[in-house]
Parts: sequence; structure tokens; C-alpha cells
Amino acid sequence: MLEINNLNVGYDGTTVMELPHLSLSTGEHCLILGASGSGKTTILSTISGLLAPIGGEIVLDGHSYKDLHGSTMDEFRGRHIGIIYQTLHMVSALTVLENLLLAQYAAGLPQDKDKAVNLLEHLGIADKKGNKPETLSQGQLQRVAIARATINDPKIIVGDEPTSALDDNACENVMDLLLNLAAASNASLVIATHDQRIKRHFHKQITLGGAQ
Amino acid sequence: MNCLSLSSAYLRHKTLSAVLTIATFAAGVAMIVVMLLVNAQLQNEFSSNLKGIDLVVGGKGSPMQLILSSVFHLDVPTGNIPLDEAEKLSKHPMVKQAIPLALGDNYRGFRIVGTTKAYPEHYHALLKAGGRYWGKEMEAVLGSEVAANGGLKPGDTFSGSHGLTAGGELHSEFPYTVVGILEPTGTIIDRLALTGRESVWFIHEHHDHDDDADEHRHEVHDHHDKDHAGEHEHEHGHEREITSLLITYNTPLAAVGLPRQINSTTSMQAASPAFEIARLTAFMGTGTETLKYFAWFLIILAGFGIFAGLYNAMNERRYDLALMRSFGARPGKLFSLMMTESLIVSLISVIVGMGLGHLLVEGIATWLSNTKHIHMTGRLFLAEETWLIPVGLAVGALAALLPAVRVYRIDIFKTLVRR
Repeated sequence: MLEINNLNVGYDGTTVMELPHLSLSTGEHCLILGASGSGKTTILSTISGLLAPIGGEIVLDGHSYKDLHGSTMDEFRGRHIGIIYQTLHMVSALTVLENLLLAQYAAGLPQDKDKAVNLLEHLGIADKKGNKPETLSQGQLQRVAIARATINDPKIIVGDEPTSALDDNACENVMDLLLNLAAASNASLVIATHDQRIKRHFHKQITLGGAQ
Repeated sequence: MNCLSLSSAYLRHKTLSAVLTIATFAAGVAMIVVMLLVNAQLQNEFSSNLKGIDLVVGGKGSPMQLILSSVFHLDVPTGNIPLDEAEKLSKHPMVKQAIPLALGDNYRGFRIVGTTKAYPEHYHALLKAGGRYWGKEMEAVLGSEVAANGGLKPGDTFSGSHGLTAGGELHSEFPYTVVGILEPTGTIIDRLALTGRESVWFIHEHHDHDDDADEHRHEVHDHHDKDHAGEHEHEHGHEREITSLLITYNTPLAAVGLPRQINSTTSMQAASPAFEIARLTAFMGTGTETLKYFAWFLIILAGFGIFAGLYNAMNERRYDLALMRSFGARPGKLFSLMMTESLIVSLISVIVGMGLGHLLVEGIATWLSNTKHIHMTGRLFLAEETWLIPVGLAVGALAALLPAVRVYRIDIFKTLVRR
């Protein structure tokens, strides 16, 4: 499903880190562990198709990133990759529900309001669907971000520190939801974190070295 | 969710900044509308009042004053001319039509003009149903604004007061009877009370005989004693006088010799309205030119304001646009989103601005209507105004173009992740 070989990631022409090999089968999850500055975010952005690799190869669902550029990459990402940003990036002009519909609209998929409401219900924040993001707590926003990342049934859900801002209870809760949602659509989770609490949920783990 | 609902959500989210952008834009549009309307109506005012009048003949003095007083009824007349001389000129072979005017009194600041039917007919004025022209002394036909202002209808009476501006002594012993009201013409006729020359002579003959002490008071009130058509009969025996003649030529050749002939061989002065108006515009030229450049300057400034407002709004949208791209939005979708928003703002601004412009002109018109000189209205729509819509939308499109094109080059990673 996801094949990574001799990957060399970085930006502005500078290599931040290298990943010789990673292979995930459908529905298989992976945790990327590492201290701050170890390149977690950079490798996650590369896997998300937000950042072009300096070298090496990424193949997702049979599509090599080498063949995807600019708007074709955007379109591919919209349909295959769900992203949970570390700074959640909600559109403040829109309500929670509209933020979910925006993801469908942007990806050019039919807007399914029932699906979005169901998803919010499943995450326990359906009562907030008409609220603006600024009125929600961090934990609630985290769930909206999860809902938005999963609404288009991506093949792979990429999360950058999705639990580190949460307390132990909320952390467990969010992990359960993520695993549930991933299992429901048979998607792979790729989570980058320094949060040791969630290690036990993942068989496959990569630990990155400190900043070099 | 679509372009339109998304755009309106953004506009509602930033109400204040949207309102400010619209206000700046609308102010610029309103300014253009005011310029267009005022300019068109002033031009029209000049040309419709001048229409067909080739020469004005009156007392010696300033030719400009003669034109202003006799054609536009703005200034005081230069003096009177003897009736027999005026009549002799009227029969000149090169003169097609000569309309006599005898000024002297006013009704509520509207001038009472002793003349012939030829005067209203020259401006294609029509009597309202049930009215007729004057048949004898002290019968009057009112211009539409005069009738409306005084609330007068045929059969009513009114008294003129002495002089050409409101506030003079009332001739209450000789009331006029209204025998007709004219339809609005959009010319000076609307603001005049018309009567036969005989009425003006009648009032002032009696007036002068009856009350000498009063006469003295007049001189205090009204130092332009000369402008009183009837008043000089004592001094000049029973020679009758009028204030001026409005002349239409029979042939263009008349312009070559007739004015000079009148000026050199008679006690009268001939002035060409076209020439004097050209002179007037030349006098005022620097002023109006400066004003025009200033207006353009303001409009260009408003244009920059619009551009800056929209550009900033679009730039602030960078994160959201990058986010939409990360969710797979094609650049074309984002481009049309930004265009839609900018065009909504522009369209609202143009509509608000046009409404505002017309309201402003209507306000100016109300203010000017008290002066009784210049006639204007905000309830007039010019064909040129329709251009404001495409031009306004083009400005909006242009303002959105630059940020919209930059969307294609947004580095999502740097915008959303590493900032």
C-alpha cells in the first residue's frame, strides 16, 4: 500500500533526514517517534505530498509521487491522504460542519451532510456542528480535525502530534477514535509524535535520532 | 457549499473589513456619479436655456451681465431700452424673431416677466389643461415650479413684490390673477411668472404716480432702479421701455454685422450668448479644471483603496487557501472562489455607490432649489452610468487577480507546516 525506498527528505535543498525503507500493507499502522527537531514533521509532510522528496521514492496505492506534481498532487492528496496538522488549521469563517464539508468540496467529492453529522456524532461533538471553531476547546478541535481528515475515506491518515496537547483521558479517547475510524475504512495510520503514551497501540515503530 | 456560499461566509466573518472596503469603493463610485450627473445637467441647463437665442439686446453695460440677466435670469439687468427702438429692431430683415422681456418685480423670488406668448413658445412650454395665456393687464401664466411653490392654480391671485429678489415691497394693491400654469419644461421658464408687458408698465405707472415716498424707499432697498422697466417714464416722458430683446436670426450672416450695427448706431447693446458663455467658461476654466482633476485624483485614490482592501483580504486568506489546496482543491476552484468574493464586493459597492451618488445629487438639488436658479435632480439616470458596473467589476477582478494567481505558487508546506 505504502512503499518508501531510500527516501531523503528536507527543504530548501538541505537534507533533514533519511529513511532507507518503510513498507505498510493495507490497514497497517506506523508510529514515527523522535525528539523535537528530529525531522518527524518533515518526513510526515513528504509522505503527505506537501513537500517534494529530495531523493528516493514513495509509492502510495500504486501511484508514485514522482508522477504527481502541483495540482495533480493536490488532487491525489485530497482523495487518498487525510492530514491532521499539528496546528489544527480550522477555517474560522466556517462552522464545524462547514469545515468538514469544505474538505469534501475541496476534494471535488459530493458533499454528504449526513455523513459529516454522523462522523461528528461518532466523535461526540455533534452538538457543536453549528459552532465556529474558536468556541471549541483544544480537545474538541482535535476531534474536528480527525473528522475532517477521515471524511473522504483516505487510504492513509497522517497525524502530526495528534495527542500531545491532550491529557491522559483525552489522549486514550482520541487514539481509540483514530484506530476505530482507520479500521472502519481500512486505512493506515501514520502518526508522528514524541508522546510515549500511545506507543502500545502500534506494532510498527520508527525511532528517529535527535537533531543533527 | 459552493463558491457563492463560501464567499458570503467569508464576507460575513469579516463584516467590518468588508463594510470598509465597500464604503471606500462606493464612495469612489458615488463621486463619479455626482460628477456625471452634475456635469450633464449643468451642460443641459446652459444649452436648453440658450437654445435658439442668437443675440440678446438690452441696455448698455456689461454684455455678460446682459446675458446672465436676460437668458438665465441670474444677474440684475444692465438697464432698459426704449420700446420704439426695440420694435424697430424687431422688424429688421435679418431678425426672425425678437422676444421682448420687461423685468421689474418678483413673486417669492421668482421673476415676473412681461413678455409675449413667443417667450414660452420658444421653449416649447405647454399650458396645462384649463389654462390660457394672458388677455389683459394683470393676468399671469406661471411656470411649473412657481405654481408649485406658491400652491397657485388658475383663478388664484398673487401680488408681486418690487425688485428682482424676494423681500421687496409688496404691490398688494395690484394683484395678478393666474390664468394658466405651464407644464414643466426643464428650462428657465419653469421658474418664471409670465405676463403681458402691459402689466409691468401698468403696475409701475400707477406705482410711481401714487407713491413718491415709496419710490424713495425703493432706492434704498434696490439700488438697481434702472432694472425697472416701467419706472423711467417720468424722466423720459411717456416713452415706454422694456428690459431686453431675445433675438433669433433669419440668416447666419446676421452674426457678422448686426451686433456691431446695434452697438454703434443705437443706444442699445447687443451681446452674443454663445460668445459670452464661452468667455464665462474660460474665466471659470482654471477653477473647474482644477476641480475636475481633483475629482479624478480622488477617484484614482479610491481605486487604490479598493485595490488595497481587496488585496489585503485576499492575502489574509492565504492560510485557508493553502489548506483547501492540501485537501485537494484545484487552483481553478480557488481562483473562482477569490474572483467570486471580489466581484460580490465590487457589485455591492457599485450598487451602493450609484444609489449614494443619486441621493447626493438629489440633496444638492434640494439645496439648489432654494436658490431658484439652477435646476437639478438625482432622479435622472444617464446611459454613461451603466458603464460603472463593468468598470467596477473589472477593478474588483483586477484586485483579486494578483492574489489569485499567487495561489498557484503557494508553498503549502511552508504556509501550513513550517511557519
